[in-house]
Order: sequence, then structure tokens, then C-alpha cells
Amino acid sequence: MKKVRKALIVFFVLYLLTGLTISSCFAGYNNISMTLSLDRKEATAMDSMGMVVKISGVRSNDSWPVVKGLESFDVVQIGSSSRIEVINTTFSSAIEYNYMIQPKEEGTYKIGPAQLTIDGKTITSNTENLTIIKPSRSSDVDRGEIFLSTSLSSNKIYIEEQAVYTLKLYNQGGVKLVSLSLPETEHLILKQIEKPSEYQSVYNGKTYQVLEVRYVLIPSKEGTYGIKPARMSLNVMQPRHGSGFGMFDDPFFLSSGSISKNVASEPLELKVLPLPAKGRPSEFTGMIGTFNMKASLEPAKIKKGESATLAVVVEGHGNVKRIPDLKGPVQQDIKIYADQPVFEESVDSGGIKGLKTMKWALVPEKEGQYEISPLKVSFFDTQKQQYRTIETSPFYISVLPGAKEVLSPSSVAPEAKQTNNVVKKEIKEIGYDILPVHDSIKDLSNGSSLQNRNLMALLLLITPFLIYLLTFLGLKYGIKSDKAMAAVRIKKAAGIIIQQCRKGKICSGDMISELRNYLNNRFGLDLGSLTAYEADNILKSKGVSSETAYKFKDIILELEGAVYTGKGNEICSLAEKIIEIIKKVEKELR
Amino acid sequence: MRTFGYVTIIAFISLFMLIAAGLAQTSGYEETFYKANTAYRQDRFQEAADSYAQLITAGYKNGNMYYNLGNAYFRLDKPGYAILNYERARILIPRDADLNFNLKYARDRIQDAIEEPQGFLETAFFWVGSFNFKELLYCFAALNLFFWGILFVRLFKKTEWTYYASMILFILWMITGASSGLKWDILSTDDRAVILEKETNILSGPDAKDTVLFKLHEGTVVHHERSEEGWSLISLPDKKRGWIKDGALENVIENK
Repeated sequence: MKKVRKALIVFFVLYLLTGLTISSCFAGYNNISMTLSLDRKEATAMDSMGMVVKISGVRSNDSWPVVKGLESFDVVQIGSSSRIEVINTTFSSAIEYNYMIQPKEEGTYKIGPAQLTIDGKTITSNTENLTIIKPSRSSDVDRGEIFLSTSLSSNKIYIEEQAVYTLKLYNQGGVKLVSLSLPETEHLILKQIEKPSEYQSVYNGKTYQVLEVRYVLIPSKEGTYGIKPARMSLNVMQPRHGSGFGMFDDPFFLSSGSISKNVASEPLELKVLPLPAKGRPSEFTGMIGTFNMKASLEPAKIKKGESATLAVVVEGHGNVKRIPDLKGPVQQDIKIYADQPVFEESVDSGGIKGLKTMKWALVPEKEGQYEISPLKVSFFDTQKQQYRTIETSPFYISVLPGAKEVLSPSSVAPEAKQTNNVVKKEIKEIGYDILPVHDSIKDLSNGSSLQNRNLMALLLLITPFLIYLLTFLGLKYGIKSDKAMAAVRIKKAAGIIIQQCRKGKICSGDMISELRNYLNNRFGLDLGSLTAYEADNILKSKGVSSETAYKFKDIILELEGAVYTGKGNEICSLAEKIIEIIKKVEKELR
Repeated sequence: MRTFGYVTIIAFISLFMLIAAGLAQTSGYEETFYKANTAYRQDRFQEAADSYAQLITAGYKNGNMYYNLGNAYFRLDKPGYAILNYERARILIPRDADLNFNLKYARDRIQDAIEEPQGFLETAFFWVGSFNFKELLYCFAALNLFFWGILFVRLFKKTEWTYYASMILFILWMITGASSGLKWDILSTDDRAVILEKETNILSGPDAKDTVLFKLHEGTVVHHERSEEGWSLISLPDKKRGWIKDGALENVIENK
């Protein structure tokens, strides 16, 4: 039975896990997206390029996507692949469709979007731009099976402007790269952009496999530079034929070996120009490249005391580290708090790209309509070859009255407030002076000395203590009045006789004396002897009930009986009765 | 019997004359006070200051007189004397709004930036600064009366309410007693003095040839430790110490 229960638990857990897995897989499929990418942005008409269309969020698909903009290309479908990934416990799947495309003519093309219909839903991808340029003239010369070629996007650039340095290794297969030595020139910095790409190209009528690596080149000083050749060490696989007997002539049995080969590119020349002085704006900070600026103010309508966020983004290609931290707008009646600017740098096919985001919190102190003055930034535009100043458009912010006026002394500012339809003005200090003299006749009272030792106060301090002390001592040690003594005697009368009775050693004769003493003490009497009838009368006169007085009388009679019968010296047997009656008397007397 | 009658009449006449003389004297001081106020209003500040000082000397040592004297000195552009008298007034009328305003204003005008740190007891008994010694003492005396009174009652009647009342009164008695004691201690050990000269050198010793350690300006409150042959040793809250000529400063507590 236990085993069955265990098996059920295991089955239940597995069922849950499987359910969760499947549900998470399906959860991933809900977000289907498609992206189109090219391995290059620029190529010659002789080159072939790789194109990938990736559909994320599906596991299988029978049909290929339709890609627009490929009319001027020869397209070959290479194949497709699918994969499932687990990223942060989330399942994701994707299918990649690979193409090889070759342009038919030069020009600029917009490739895409790719489209695909899955379960009646059409998915559309992004588009990519591709520029097809003329092949270089050097293609007239036959350069053998392997050669290295380098080129610059421009031979004449401005200081700190970016140029693209492209390195291409042409080969006809079986090449393994060992090392690459890039040219090192003082004041020129090379930085790789993008991963190396491989494609097929035709050079001088021959088909080559091309390995292309692109770098961004940044000059830090003006002048004319000779860029030395780039050098590459390679291992080239070469077929080694056998002795030519029988079956060994079969290509399957051909063996091969590798030989080392060094190749070098042609040297290049670069002219670096200084920035023109003409038209240089005063606020120019040295930014060179192509930049743009975006800005937003949200929300545009707020209540007084609330904050709106002004965000300005400067982005572009060039010496992006020179993007300045802009000073926030200055606006009366609006407090402006700047955030720490955020700078991001990346590389893409256009070179080094930068993006700086600057934010300010705007807190209006008064209601009304405000125009936020635009923010400007100047740079040298390398495309237009001139200085440009870009600026944000002016923003307008509408400030409504605050929801609730909170009056606090610390926040008091010299400004007007509108409460209950009455315009109240904060108090503004205009002048400063001391307050006047105290001239009332009351102010002429005789003051006490600075170190006041007031006798009356001292008396008040000491006298109560002394009175208490004397009283306390008097009560404790002694001086008692007759009245007080009598009161003590009354209080203690019952206690004494009860105590005697409890001792149990008192004889009947003495007990009569004790009862007499009790009445004497209790009622302040001075009886020398006591008869039963006297006791009865006394008790009744003092307010004791007749019944109790009668019982008291009976006890005395019994005691007298014992005395008169010769048993006066014997231990009294009425002790308990006497205690009871004394308590009763005391109770009735209260 | 007739002799007794004469004696009685003579005694009455003598008493009347004494009272009349006293009243005449009082009305004389009232007139001085009136004149002082008039002089102040008419911008005769020196005359006003002299009259207020005369009243103080005559025994009218109350906070208002010191305050008025401080105002007169302030108008005479003597911030040192003004602050001195404001401080004296503050001992007697610490909650007076006019006084506190004027004292702050006068302090804001002095050159030396010296902050007096508050001790632990002054912080714990923060209310002590808002009462003068007389007020605290009378408050303590009243509570003392109630406290011993309730203990007295308890000698004869030990009931529950007398127990709780005695406990509450005991706590209040302790607080007011400690407050009075602290105030008395503050007054007894008050060694503050005010610099009265526009600028004065603080020297390393009681000799004009000694090195000048630092300079103090009119109105700055310092601690006067002791005097020696016309020189006074002073100290500042930041532990700076030095000697100054006796005439360049005056103690807040008079005749100290």
C-alpha cells in the first residue's frame, strides 16, 4: 500500500513538472517574431552575400518565407535549421532560413521585409539596406590563388573622423589562418567592427572564397599617413597525388598536405585634414561625425509640486566620447534636478556608435504655462563637411494648481498662494531692526537679584518636611493623648481577649476578669466587678442585639457557676464560645 | 493711659511719614523710567541708557530693565553692551519674545562665529532654559508642599488614592527639584563674559608683550576663567584660551 502511495506521488510530481514544461513551451510560442539579417551592408556586384531569416517562437514550419526586394539578386536557398533554447528557465525555439544572394547590378537596395503566414497570421520582418558598388580596378591583375587586399572608405578624412579600413583575404579554399599583423601607425587607431564575414566573389574572372574583416580607423592628429601593408600567415592545404596505381587514382584516396604561406596587402595613403575654422560655433565641443538629437517631456500637463521628466538623447557615429553633458534648461519658477547622464558605446557597420541619455526632473513651483527653451549641441558633420548645430524643439508644460496646499513653516517661500478663493501672500522680510523697549509701568517692578535665594521659597521647602518629620516621630515614639490611648484600647480590646482564649490556658475565674476587662476597654468603663446582668445591660445600651447580649450573659453565668461550684481554677472550656460571641459583638458594634 | 495714647499717635505719624517717603521715592523712579522711555523714543539713546542703568543700580534689576538698557546700547551702536544686557535679561525673562528676537538679531551682527555646545544635562532638561530660577524654585516649593502634605495624610490614612497621588507627586517633585538644582548650578557656575571692544587681541600671557594668539570682536561671548593683575584668562568653546585686558570684557553675572 505504501509503495502504491509513493508511486502515485512520483507520478503526480512528474505530471506537474511535465505540465509546467509544456505550458512554458507554449507560452514561448505565443511571441512569434521574424528578423532578417545580411552578413554585409556593402559589396561589389561580383560578391555573394549571406542572408538569414530567423523566425523565433516556432518549432517547425513547412513553407519558406517570402522576401521582398530581391528582384535584382540571384537567390539560392542554402537550407534551414531549427533549435530550442532554454534561457532563464524559459523555453524558446527558432527556425533559421539561410540564403546566398548575388547582386545583378550596382545600386542601393532595400532588402525585405520577409513575410510568412503561420496559422492564418502573417508575420513581417525588418528590412536591411545593401549598397552594391563597382569592383575595384585592381581586378585587372591576376594575383594568384591567395592574396590579401585592403581598402579605406575614404582617403581624405578630418581629424577624429572615422574611416572604414577593410581587409579581405581572397583564397580558393583549403586555407587556415595562423596570424594577422595589422599595420601600426602613430596617431592612427584601428578597432574591429563586426565579426569577420565569409562569402564568394569573382576577381579577375576567377571565383574566390573571401574572408572580410572591417575596422574603424580614427586619426588623432592631422597630416599625411602612409599605412603599411597588413600581413597574414596562412597554412594552405595542397593535394598530394599518389603513385598513380589502380584504385589509388580514385580521388577518394587522394591524400593532402599543408604549406605555410605569407601574404601582404598593398600599402595605403591617408590624408587627415584639420577641422575648418570657418563657421565653427561657439558651443562646439569637438564632436565629429553624424549625430542626431531626440528629446521628450513627459507628462506635458502636471500639477504644481509634481515633476515632469525632460529626456534628451544625443546619438550618432563619430568621436562619441565627446558628446557633452548638456546643461539643463533654465526656467523661472521651475526647479530643475539633473540625473546622472547615461552613455552607451557600441560598434556597427557604420563604425563606433554612441548614445548619451540626459534626464532632468522639472518641478514647477507655480501654476501656469511654461515654455522650456530648446537644448543645443554643435558638431562637425562629416557627411555634409560642415559644422551643424542641432537642437531640441521647444517644449510646453502646463502646470495646474496643486491638489492640496500643505502649509509648513519650512516650505514658506515668498510667493502668492490661492486658498479658498482668497489670494494670500507669503510674508516677505523687507527690513531688519530690533523690537522696542518695554515701557509699561508694570515693567518697573522690583526684580529679584540674579542669584535669587528667596526666603519664602526656602521656608516652603523646609517647613512641610519638618512638619511631616515631627508628626512621624511623634506617632512613632510617643506622645499620645488620652483620647488616642482610649482609641487604641478600643481597637485592641477584642484582640486581647481572643488571644487569651486561643492560648487555652486560662481558668474560668480569670476568664470572668478578662471579659470585664474587655467591656472596660471596649466601652471605656471602669468596672471593678462584672455580673451577668450588668454585662447584658451594657451591651444592649451600646447597640448590641438582645440575642447576642443574652448569649454573652449566659456565658458569664456559666463561668460564675463554675467558680461557685469549685471549678474556678480549672481550665475554661468555653473559650471557643467566647471567641465567637466577642466576634459577634464586634460585628454588631461596627 | 494718656501716655499710651500719645505714643500711639506718634507711632502712626512716623509710619505714615515712612510710607510717604517710600512712595515719594517710588514715584521718583517712575519718573526716571518715564524719562528714559521718552528719551529712547526721541532717539536720545545715551540719556535713555543712563536712566535705565540708574534704575538698575537703584534695585530695579528686572529683565525688562536689562532688556531696555540693551536696546539703548544697541541704538548707540554698542553691540557688546547690548548683548551683555540682553544676556542678563535672559536670565530673568528667558521666554520674552522681544528679548529673544533682539538678542538673535544682535548676535547675527557680531563678527566672530562661535557656537556654544549644549551639555548633556542641558539637553536632557531642555525646559530649564525656558524658566528663570525663581519660577523653578517656586514650582519646586509648591510641589514640595503637596508631596509632604500627601505623605502627612498617609500617616493617618493609608488609602489607595493617597498611594498613587504620593507616587505621582514624588516623580514631579524629583523632576522640579533636579531642574531647580540644575538651574542653580548653571547660574552659580555661569562664567560667561562679553567682549566690549571693537577688536581686541588675545595674548598668550598676562602681559602686553606676550604673543597675540587670536583676535576677538565686540559682542562675542567667552568664558571668563580668572583674573590676574588687570588681565583675565578667557576660553572659547573650541578650547582656544588666552589673556585679555580686564576692561575689554564684562561678566554676564554681575559682581562675580
